[in-house]
Amino acid sequence: MTDEFGQPDSRPDEILSNPDCAQVPLGIPTDLHMAGVNAALHRWPKVETQTIPLLSKAPFVPAWKPHWQKVKVFRLTFPDGMEFLTPKEEPENGEERPKLKSLKPPQADGDAKKKKPTRLKPPEDALSLEDRLFYVLQPPLQTWLSGQELIMPFEPFPYQYEGIAWLFAQKSALLADEMGLGKTMQTITALRLLLRSGRVRRVLLACPKPLIPNWQREFKLWAEELPIVTVEGDTNRRNMLWKMPGNPILICNYESMVRDFDNMHEDDRPEFDLLILDEAQRIKNRTSRTSEVTKAISRKRSWALTGTPIENRPEEMASLFEFMEIIPPRGTPDLRQLQKLSEVYVLRRTKDLVMTDLPPRLDRDEHLELNPAQEHAYKTAEKEGVIQLNDMGESITIQHVFELVLRLKQISNYDPLTGESAKMDRLAAEMEEIAASGGKAILFSQWTKTLDWIKDRMSERVPEAGTLIYHGGVPTKKREPILDQFENDPDSNLLLMSYGTGAVGLNLQFAGYVFLYDRWWNPAVEDQAINRAHRIGQKSAVIVTKYICKDTVEERIDLVLQQKRELFKAILGDGDVSTESLSMNASEIFGLFDLKAKAGKGTKKIGPEQPESLDDSKHAA
Amino acid sequence: MTASRETLRLGFLTTVEQANDCFVGGLLITNHLGRPLEFQCTTPVRPNSTQKILYGPTLKPFVMTELIGKTLFERADVKPDVLLVEDEDLLGLRELIDKPVACLSVESKVPVLVGGPDEEPLTLGRQHLRLHHAHDFDRRSIMKRSHLLPDQADLEEPFERVREALQEVLAPGGSR
Repeated sequence: MTDEFGQPDSRPDEILSNPDCAQVPLGIPTDLHMAGVNAALHRWPKVETQTIPLLSKAPFVPAWKPHWQKVKVFRLTFPDGMEFLTPKEEPENGEERPKLKSLKPPQADGDAKKKKPTRLKPPEDALSLEDRLFYVLQPPLQTWLSGQELIMPFEPFPYQYEGIAWLFAQKSALLADEMGLGKTMQTITALRLLLRSGRVRRVLLACPKPLIPNWQREFKLWAEELPIVTVEGDTNRRNMLWKMPGNPILICNYESMVRDFDNMHEDDRPEFDLLILDEAQRIKNRTSRTSEVTKAISRKRSWALTGTPIENRPEEMASLFEFMEIIPPRGTPDLRQLQKLSEVYVLRRTKDLVMTDLPPRLDRDEHLELNPAQEHAYKTAEKEGVIQLNDMGESITIQHVFELVLRLKQISNYDPLTGESAKMDRLAAEMEEIAASGGKAILFSQWTKTLDWIKDRMSERVPEAGTLIYHGGVPTKKREPILDQFENDPDSNLLLMSYGTGAVGLNLQFAGYVFLYDRWWNPAVEDQAINRAHRIGQKSAVIVTKYICKDTVEERIDLVLQQKRELFKAILGDGDVSTESLSMNASEIFGLFDLKAKAGKGTKKIGPEQPESLDDSKHAA
Repeated sequence: MTASRETLRLGFLTTVEQANDCFVGGLLITNHLGRPLEFQCTTPVRPNSTQKILYGPTLKPFVMTELIGKTLFERADVKPDVLLVEDEDLLGLRELIDKPVACLSVESKVPVLVGGPDEEPLTLGRQHLRLHHAHDFDRRSIMKRSHLLPDQADLEEPFERVREALQEVLAPGGSR
């Protein structure tokens, strides 16, 4: 038996003890296939060299030259400012000229606190870059005015710096600061800077005639180097002054301005870079000749100054805005639009806001009982008057009512028959005390006749008060000496003034007492009057006494006046926007009395829902 | 005939680096009382990446002096008598122009002695000045007219105006 390899089959134990060994040759014969490469594998490679000439320059070198784009430049040149000769130092009466000093008393936190400089800002309506840069690049006002370039007799208050900066930049501006905050000084200084910087070269300032000496005085104080020319004299002289070149600042009064421009041919009318209207409420009536002529004057900038932009109606503000050329002619903006425009074009600060260090104004309303004879006269007049008015039926007009009001107000002042006067009694008592303490008081009344009467009574009863009188009946030349006497004579303690003549522009800050003997129709005019005394420079509290006779028309008028103040606040952003116009219109004057309606419709009160302009009523007066 | 009045015109040169690596320069020339006579500013100068790499740390002084400062000075109609700068890098401009360049030493507010310990500090208005090290002789020409400047003149303030003007120019819709 054999296994699969052909070996005899044996048992396993035999195989293990006697293994068979055989030799197997490892050399396995191989045959090479013939291929072309085989010979090459056995051959040495053949290396050959050759010389190649190098290139003289490299074919590519990365290169960079420092090339920069040309820098473009934007240029702004500034106009040459006007140069003015500094006036020679001429000490008057051996007195030194005032140096720069602060009017402000030391503050609680000390003067060491660094004041923030006031920078000029471009106005909101300045669109061109040149215009905006002009303002941005001007030095801070403090640098300009601190004596380095322009001498200021007194250092302005911070709010005044702001006002100057604001005016300087405005093409159209209504500076409506409350009376006594220095509108004149701010205007003169802004004007001075505009002339100095070459921004304006010819300026016209129009103001009420009595204020011309005031402006002249203020120009001399705040900008002595500025030459001013007052347009006055006869027609030929005025014409010559209007046309004379080289006068940078002309001052004129409204009346002569209107007359002269009316008489000039349109082509001959002078042109101005800036027209300033002082007491700009003079143009509140759009249809007045003053208003029309003023608006027709050719000018580049229009500034209006007034402490009372609205005396009665919002439309008065619109007339001012029309002058400022920010609303179209005859434009009728509503209350909201007026407010919006006011935010940009009106700057108004009140004493409460800025003059925290101004002595307080203490108002006291003295409600007086009429004297017996006076009361009798009053009641008789009222009774008869009302009966008379009611009897008139349909033919009743505002003028008739107004006449009665005036008559009753006059009796409240004094009874012309007996000369009795509760107000005079009180005034005499109070003036005795004021004169004894050396105080100064000013008294306002609506009537020059009343003022003359008071003067006579005061001379009898309190001669030591040295009563002086200043009203429209006093010749212009005599007015300044009266004011000088009142200021400097220690024996002159009382100055009687009419609202019309004394309420605007005068500086009487040395007077500590103001009496409103009777009430004006308009609280703004009353405030103007009070602010003759309560203004910058006042060192003590100003006591304002308003005489109101009980149970008379004066009490009713007082109520209306209080309401009118609210209108003022509504427009100028200080009160309720929705407050309706509360001007003392014709219907309110009717409403002062319990009058029956006109014929035919029974009895009813003529209420305030019939708006008519106060102008009509004032006109009637 | 009136004698010509002595004048001192001051140039206030500053550059502003914007967020996007742009440089803008402004030059305000004023009279000795700070009233502006002329203002110039450049359009934004923006270096590209190659320029940034190759100029390295010298990029900023180069742009400020050779590109912006020199251009503004050369284009000015009113040449300042002294060119004032706030950045010391701009002092290098003195090598390129023929007018004194002085840097306000605003940091320390102490006098900077440029000519040695015996030399008086160079003061103009309320500020002390630093000159280019190779041009200390400018001191004499500055001192010659320094009396025209009020002692209280604040020479830092006009730089504020230049910066504000540059902002106005660069504001949207401001530049043309």
